[in-house]
Amino acid sequence: MADITYICKRTVVSTKPVQPGKHFSLSVLDRLMEQNHLRFVYYFRAPGAIREPGELTKKLRESMSEMLTSFPIVTGRLLKNPEGQWMIKCNDAGVRMVEARIKGSVENWLKGVDREKELKLVHWEEMYHKPYFWSTFYVQITEFEEGGVAIGLSCFHLLADPTCASMFVKAWADMTLTGKMLNNPPLSHQLPPRRPGRKNPSHDQPSMELINCYKSIADKTNLVSTDTKHATIALAFSDPMVRACMANGQAMAASDQSSPSPFEALAGLFWVCISKLKGAGDDLIDMSVCSDMRNVLNLDNGFFGNCMVYNRVNSKNLKEHKLPDVAKAIGEVMSEMDSDGIIDLIEWLEHNDVHQSPPTMNGCDLICASLEAVDPYLAVFEEDLIPVRVSCYVEPVVGVGHVLVLPSPPGEGPFSRVVMVTLPEDEAVRLCEDDLILSFSPTILMGVNN
Amino acid sequence: MPPILPDFSSSVKLKYVKLGYQYLVNHILYLLMIPVMVGVLIEVLRLGPDEILSLWRSLHFDLVQILCSSFLIIFIATVYFMSKPRTIYLVDYACYKPPVTCRVPFSTFMEHSRLILKDKPKSVEFQMRILERSGLGEETYLPPAIHYIPPKPTMDAARGEAELVIFSVMDSLFKKTGLKPKDIDILIVNCSLFSPTPSLSAMVINKYKLRSNIKSFNLSGMGCSAGLISIDLARDLLQVHPNSNAVVVSTEIITPNYYQGNERAMLLPNCLFRMGGAAILLSNRRSHRWLAKYRLVHVVRTHKGADDKAYRCVYEEEDREGKVGINLSKDLMAIAGEALKSNITTIGPLVLPASEQLLFLLTLIGRKIFNPKWKPYIPDFKQAFEHFCIHAGGRAVIDELQKNLQLSAEHVEASRMTLHRFGNTSSSSLWYEIGYIEAKGRMRRGDRVWQIAFGSGFKCNSAVWKCNRAIKKPTDSPWADCIDRYPVHIPEVVKL
Repeated sequence: MADITYICKRTVVSTKPVQPGKHFSLSVLDRLMEQNHLRFVYYFRAPGAIREPGELTKKLRESMSEMLTSFPIVTGRLLKNPEGQWMIKCNDAGVRMVEARIKGSVENWLKGVDREKELKLVHWEEMYHKPYFWSTFYVQITEFEEGGVAIGLSCFHLLADPTCASMFVKAWADMTLTGKMLNNPPLSHQLPPRRPGRKNPSHDQPSMELINCYKSIADKTNLVSTDTKHATIALAFSDPMVRACMANGQAMAASDQSSPSPFEALAGLFWVCISKLKGAGDDLIDMSVCSDMRNVLNLDNGFFGNCMVYNRVNSKNLKEHKLPDVAKAIGEVMSEMDSDGIIDLIEWLEHNDVHQSPPTMNGCDLICASLEAVDPYLAVFEEDLIPVRVSCYVEPVVGVGHVLVLPSPPGEGPFSRVVMVTLPEDEAVRLCEDDLILSFSPTILMGVNN
Repeated sequence: MPPILPDFSSSVKLKYVKLGYQYLVNHILYLLMIPVMVGVLIEVLRLGPDEILSLWRSLHFDLVQILCSSFLIIFIATVYFMSKPRTIYLVDYACYKPPVTCRVPFSTFMEHSRLILKDKPKSVEFQMRILERSGLGEETYLPPAIHYIPPKPTMDAARGEAELVIFSVMDSLFKKTGLKPKDIDILIVNCSLFSPTPSLSAMVINKYKLRSNIKSFNLSGMGCSAGLISIDLARDLLQVHPNSNAVVVSTEIITPNYYQGNERAMLLPNCLFRMGGAAILLSNRRSHRWLAKYRLVHVVRTHKGADDKAYRCVYEEEDREGKVGINLSKDLMAIAGEALKSNITTIGPLVLPASEQLLFLLTLIGRKIFNPKWKPYIPDFKQAFEHFCIHAGGRAVIDELQKNLQLSAEHVEASRMTLHRFGNTSSSSLWYEIGYIEAKGRMRRGDRVWQIAFGSGFKCNSAVWKCNRAIKKPTDSPWADCIDRYPVHIPEVVKL
């Protein structure tokens, strides 16, 4: 496969200076994600018109400058506030951009890509000794010599979750396409406070499920392993196959039960398969689900910050790995993540803030994250520059593994999904050969190359 | 012990005395003429027409004498008009507005500095302190090659910057003045630190396909005052060539001169110099008489290079590690003050009104003859000029000149705001300053402008312009989108 040539690294600043003295504080949900960073790769097929090399990159850089004016939190830098917590000082420092070129075309690349190669398309730098000079967002634009472009975005999870990272790219795309942003730039950054009506002195016990989950994650941080080489596979499940999976996940007996959501069905499927791989025998390994809570908390879609909440699924009673039971268990856990539960969790976290080193949220259990709220295919940069594939990574992977459920490119049906699974390399290979998974005939978009 | 006179300067009465004195001395000729004219008129009226006619006949003028006298008068008039230097008009000028993507906020500059000078925190600290006190704003521009980490100052990139700046500003000038490239008779390009082969003037000729008999000049190495030197050269050429025009392009190409070492005295220019350029159209054609914005009145050049200290105060050399940079010595301000004094001594008699010159002469005589302890009289240049454009070389330069010339904050506003908005753009900063004054609508017909520039060597050059016509607020100046925000208050120290 072709080698990548890095051309240059520079800083892109906004077009208008930021008002001095602006600060953003980070919420408790943000502060929990300090150990992680996100990486996205967007692939675009060659547009019709032939361009000079570097021309598209220049145009994208200019439109990014324009767009950054509305995102002072992205161009700011990290500082610790007097209480020792992270906050952002909006000092207008900008975003790092790396430009690269690669031989070949996007189609050829996508045929033979794997995790290691794909991560070359996204630039990331670990936090410096002095975080005030460290950029929290990195963008890499890689032009394919025979046509097409790949945009890699990496960002510190402390500031953004996958939903708002994709919203950032969409804003950039809108600015490139139309010269202005279609959605309003993010204004508020506060999680909703407790509603006054609930401040009942004789209020009974706050809902403990979520709180217990977070407590146990914090306690288990010693049990992470860091040395294994991981591989990521991407499997695309077509619309009828996902429907079939959902039908399998529906209990035969109780026909008045609604069928599980695509996420619940797929998460259940992968939970069962991965548990088998890990040699858990009859038991299921520990699993936590994670989902975007903007709708639940009635937050605007443009809310910029972390709003994904984790919850552990109770696997004690699930003995026979029947998909309906598994899906049902997941469904119950998802419904626990309601507005009151989350607000109670936020309050608990605020009182029990872990100052020194927050746990790695994806450190111990298998994490199944629903990224259906992320709609990356809306990022259309030009009339014929539409994303053909989008990959998402939550790094570093230090625990059992990840299963990320993403939407498919438009036009493949409302229920089709792309699932990105990150596991230790040998397990990933065996997962691709698993019968239960193969019974839903997924297309292997990205496999494990040796 | 001589009696110390009480300070009367704040007294209103003294102000009126001063005004009266100035009016008297400045208009002395008219004031003397009036009684004479009145006397003649009274005499004429007294004599009556018949007496005047008889007086006339008694002079016995015959035809030859009348003819000879008229020829003499015509001859003298012709010689006078022929030997009068041609008036040089500044038709219009254009200043370069860099693209917004080249903007460099303080935080980005400091971050890059930190990333490049990783193991020299003291140098980074030094740069930060300079930047805090520099008087620059958050919207100054650096060329694209300097935005890279690490910077890539290749010759290619330098040529790229030169093309970007010079061609943009020439296009802007063509648009403003309606000048056709083929009509340019004289082309002078000045850029101090970048001098490729073929020269930048050849680059311009190649791009715009100028005539083969064009008189082109390329001035390099002459520092920040090269802009006025080019104007002086253009003026001299326009005396020799009738009915011609001259285009002067002043710029400074930053790309090749970004100092990558860590010698403190050499890091200073990195913090202050920014991207910019200007193109000026000068002409001696009579047809431009009513179209031109300004008329060139004087150009005065002073060179202190004979003094060794002055010669070495801005010196380009290699540091201990072999990296080339421009070394600014500590006594730069003192030398600048000296050079300014020299320049003022020459320009004073040319521009100052008679009242100021008389006062200066009297105090000079007094100091020489009576009492050397008398304070030297600093002539009030505010009476000679309405607007001052001091080269935006740095906050210290502007402060020094404001103190020496006793100027008010409003007089130096153009210089300070140009430094804030565009940084030190070297030879073109004077044109941004005039642009500021025009954009604020303060330039009126008949106003006199004094441009002062300093340069390595050490030189102090001045030019005096007179506004030729009413100037409306321009819509295409680099100040157009931000003039309403100015003037801003620039704090002594900006906290980074």
